[in-house]
Amino acid sequence: MRLAEFLRLKTTEQVQLLYKNAVYSGKRRERTTIIVLYQLDGFYVEIFYLKYRWHIRHLHAFESVDLLEPYLPFVDLEELIND
Amino acid sequence: MTQATPPTPPKHIVLYADDDVDDLMLVQEAFADYATNVEVVTATSGIEALSYLENLSPLDSTPCLIILDVNMPRLNGKETLKEIRSRERFEDTPVTLFTTSSLPLDRAFAERYKAHFITKPIDITQMSVIADLFVEHCTDEIKKNIQRRLSK
Repeated sequence: MRLAEFLRLKTTEQVQLLYKNAVYSGKRRERTTIIVLYQLDGFYVEIFYLKYRWHIRHLHAFESVDLLEPYLPFVDLEELIND
Repeated sequence: MTQATPPTPPKHIVLYADDDVDDLMLVQEAFADYATNVEVVTATSGIEALSYLENLSPLDSTPCLIILDVNMPRLNGKETLKEIRSRERFEDTPVTLFTTSSLPLDRAFAERYKAHFITKPIDITQMSVIADLFVEHCTDEIKKNIQRRLSK
């Protein structure tokens, strides 16, 4: 799926698609907000939570790898090496 | 004359290992409806979970369910599952891999080691049924017991 197609879906459809097909790629915090990153095909989606894994505030989908920078401190190098 | 109250039956233990503190809290919260008959014991790594199991005395009851995150440092959920299955006492204990992955490869791994597989929920749609799904993976005898006590 391409980013433009994903953006045309309803939020509930986007969430179902992420749940079934996306790859979990990281997690970070901004003040009290937990943000989870998924990769789907050639793009990324951040989920901003009001309440972690319960209530989503909004989704942010993008293709630019520059926006992955905030997740780098949380990458487990040992895990990457062992994989 | 006062009537003696019957002793409270011991709670069923659910052992949950995850290095993510948010997920640990989340699952404990999900089991809140079962709090009268289920106690969630948490571990932050596979090694800690194995240590808990190894320290159970023969008189202690084994957990009614073991939930393992897959991505944990030092000893991940898959390795922990293999270790659990290599111990005779736990070879039939219900185990669920609870993971962010939805890959068929990971699901197949779980099946190979007689474990269930649940992808971590993204929102309330999947979250609201998560504890029920976990309990569904307990043995039939324990399921009946939990439901009976819940319905009292």
